[in-house]
Amino acid sequence: MKIGLEVHVALPTKSKLFCACSTDATEPNSSICPICMGFPGSKPMLNRAALDYASNVSRTLGCMPAQMVSFVRKVYFYPDLPKSYQITQLQEPVGVDGSVEISSKKVKIRRIQLEEDPAKIIRESGYTLMDFNRSGIPLLEIVTEPDIASEEELREFLGELRSILYYVGINIEKELKVDLNISLSKARVEVKNVTGIRNLVDAANYEIKRQTELTSKGKEVVQETRSYNEAEVRTESSREKESDEEYGFIFEPDLTSYKLPSSNAKVVLASKVAREYSRKYGAKEKTILELIQFDRESYALMDHAKDKAEMQKIIAVIELLKKYESTGIGNEKFEELLEIAKSGAQINAELIKKVKSGQRVETSSVNLQSIDKEITTMIKNHKELLKEYEKNPKAFNFIVGEVAAKLKANPRDVAIRLRAVLEKGFKD
Amino acid sequence: MPTTKPNPKFAEELSKLNKKLNFMSVINSSANGKSLFSVKDNLCVKGFESRAGSKILSGYIPPFNATAVQRMLDSGYEFVGKTVMDEFGFGSFGTNTDIVAKNPFDETRVAGGSSSGAAVATAVIKNHVAIAESTGGSISNPASFCGVVGFTPTYGTISRYGLIDYANSLDKVGVMGRRAADIRAAFDRIKGADNYDSTCSDSKISSTPTKKLMIIEQLMKGIDSKVLSSFDLLLSKMQGMGYKVEHASLDIIDKAIPAYYIISMAEASTNLAKYDGYKYGEQGKDFTKKYNDFFCDARSSFGIEAKRRIVLGTFVRSASVKDKYYIKALKFRTALTSKLSSILKDSFLISPTMPTVAPKIDEAAGLSLIKAYSMDSLTIPPNLSGLPHISFPCGYANGMPIGAQLISSHFNDYALLDFVESWEKSFKYEFKYNL
Ligand SMILES: [Zn+2]
Repeated sequence: MKIGLEVHVALPTKSKLFCACSTDATEPNSSICPICMGFPGSKPMLNRAALDYASNVSRTLGCMPAQMVSFVRKVYFYPDLPKSYQITQLQEPVGVDGSVEISSKKVKIRRIQLEEDPAKIIRESGYTLMDFNRSGIPLLEIVTEPDIASEEELREFLGELRSILYYVGINIEKELKVDLNISLSKARVEVKNVTGIRNLVDAANYEIKRQTELTSKGKEVVQETRSYNEAEVRTESSREKESDEEYGFIFEPDLTSYKLPSSNAKVVLASKVAREYSRKYGAKEKTILELIQFDRESYALMDHAKDKAEMQKIIAVIELLKKYESTGIGNEKFEELLEIAKSGAQINAELIKKVKSGQRVETSSVNLQSIDKEITTMIKNHKELLKEYEKNPKAFNFIVGEVAAKLKANPRDVAIRLRAVLEKGFKD
Repeated sequence: MPTTKPNPKFAEELSKLNKKLNFMSVINSSANGKSLFSVKDNLCVKGFESRAGSKILSGYIPPFNATAVQRMLDSGYEFVGKTVMDEFGFGSFGTNTDIVAKNPFDETRVAGGSSSGAAVATAVIKNHVAIAESTGGSISNPASFCGVVGFTPTYGTISRYGLIDYANSLDKVGVMGRRAADIRAAFDRIKGADNYDSTCSDSKISSTPTKKLMIIEQLMKGIDSKVLSSFDLLLSKMQGMGYKVEHASLDIIDKAIPAYYIISMAEASTNLAKYDGYKYGEQGKDFTKKYNDFFCDARSSFGIEAKRRIVLGTFVRSASVKDKYYIKALKFRTALTSKLSSILKDSFLISPTMPTVAPKIDEAAGLSLIKAYSMDSLTIPPNLSGLPHISFPCGYANGMPIGAQLISSHFNDYALLDFVESWEKSFKYEFKYNL
């Protein structure tokens, strides 16, 4: 079995690909202008921010660096396409020949390209509405080779790709739009416009089943384009819209060639990081990957680990932070939380809240009690020494050291308790 | 900028003459006759119908000004009206549209094309320049037929923002005037980089003179004898002024016409794809129809020449023949440009602008397609290569003006204006109307 994907993902730029219209309007047809409406006389201007995102994805996928990128017109007639051609790429795309590594293999990336999204068609009963807010939104199309050979590989690939996109700063909350090529034997079947990962996996499974059944009955699988019916969880034969012959690509003469911007942004491949940390600190690869695959913050926190034991604590604290849905703790507060955890104290939602809001945190009562108990014993044994503890820091530090060593406690905590006990004692 | 006292009756007089010569589709009734500029109908003027000579854009009122128009207005010129043209620029005689401009020297003759109205407006209005546009000769051609100066700058020196596209890689906004100095004044105000046109730059425009005039032998075939004798007279005058006239042979130039038509039709067929009758211009009526049927209905409004170019243009870029036509034509353009540029290193190219004087309107209608397309043989090479060129009146035969065309190297546009300005010191242009 061979599966190839064409994944379309919207880039999170502030303005559209070829005009200044905002990309996050909600009121239908409120973010439109002569350019994204294709009015006669208007001309496109390339949004460089979209090129930056595309360049970063290209680099992360290990594509050959493109010298220059250029655009073409792809002509087809559909009401959602204001100019009746889409500005996309052909000869000089953003990147070619990259790959995404999954556990069993490298899935090769054939090409990635920038293009404009058409308008949104809203079909009602008896009439159709158009929303041009989406017209001109920058899309990145990522085309794989047909290297995916099972549902597991498909899922793993999608997870990996989404993680890569996440680390490049591309919002993966928006559903991916995917064209799926799937062939069990000779004939290649294309399932167009599948939205979302669940649907994609369902569509693939449906096709695998359908094609297997046909073949086992000795029937031939027809090479065709199909669409996915989400409600009935099945694919359906659809009339082919247009072929390459009819698209009639020409160079986009309103744009020039552009140098791909170079970038020194750090490339993060979460699965690679997980593998590395697992080897280095002995933690479970899967656990680490789950924590950092779509979580920049957890990745940054793990970066602080110095040894195996600390990594274990870090993972435990991150898991607790996730459990209590507490994000944005920051390095300093995380360190504090980590110290508390090391002291053996119980970390709960309230404690996390306290640390985050900068309140003083006493370590857990069980622990405090044992510290207090030991301190009392020490005071009894060294009454004379401690009489003028305020003038005699050496004596104070001696007690702290003794208690901390004996209990393997944090000296800071012991000092806090000792001061409290002494003050109480002298007032009495 | 030409200035005179305002004439309160100007708009009225203009309308009267327009009824006779059909050169404007829209007249700005508040125009009073000082520092005027007209705008070819394929350039958007905010609030005025702009339909590029096509029925399919009837009623399209652009919500913005073309950059060239905005810059003219900002410089204090007054907008006088939209000038008629062949539909989307498809034509050499101004006859491929519903309003056919007449030649002011002889109303039975064409004004040329596709900037027919722009040339007539320039020939009849005194204090005026025309903002026009050339793809394959649409400025030189009507300038020659109507006896005015027509200047087409280097590709990419004037913004195309607001130009209703014919063939984007060939389209150039340019200026027509009665004197080179008027053109220079307008050119200086509208040229230069624009945030809304990626192909327009701030390249420095030079004025490098040369005393060498080069004639390409292959281009001198099939030129009318009256045009030839007028051109020869021009050459001998230039020799008298110290210019050297030389001849060069350039075989490949014969392929310029097919290459031009392939590229321009390929691009045009994509530009015209957007006219589907529901967002602007002529509105489709029956929204219950399937999109394909609705679309086909709307597009029946295209004229025959537009339909022809859509069909041919779609063919030459289709996957199975693309290399044979479209890609080959692009390669030819690169080769021709390098050949012409090497000739232009130390000389101007000179030739008559058109092989004949303006033909009669019924004569033009009777021409075969090949003959009609061949009328552009002299204007296509510089247009295909994006080279600056200027057409200026160099003589008259039986009362009809004859034009010569001078071509220079990329961005040496001022040298052309300098040349014509000095020509104007010894040659007086004729005008039949002076509004
Ligand atoms: Zn817009």
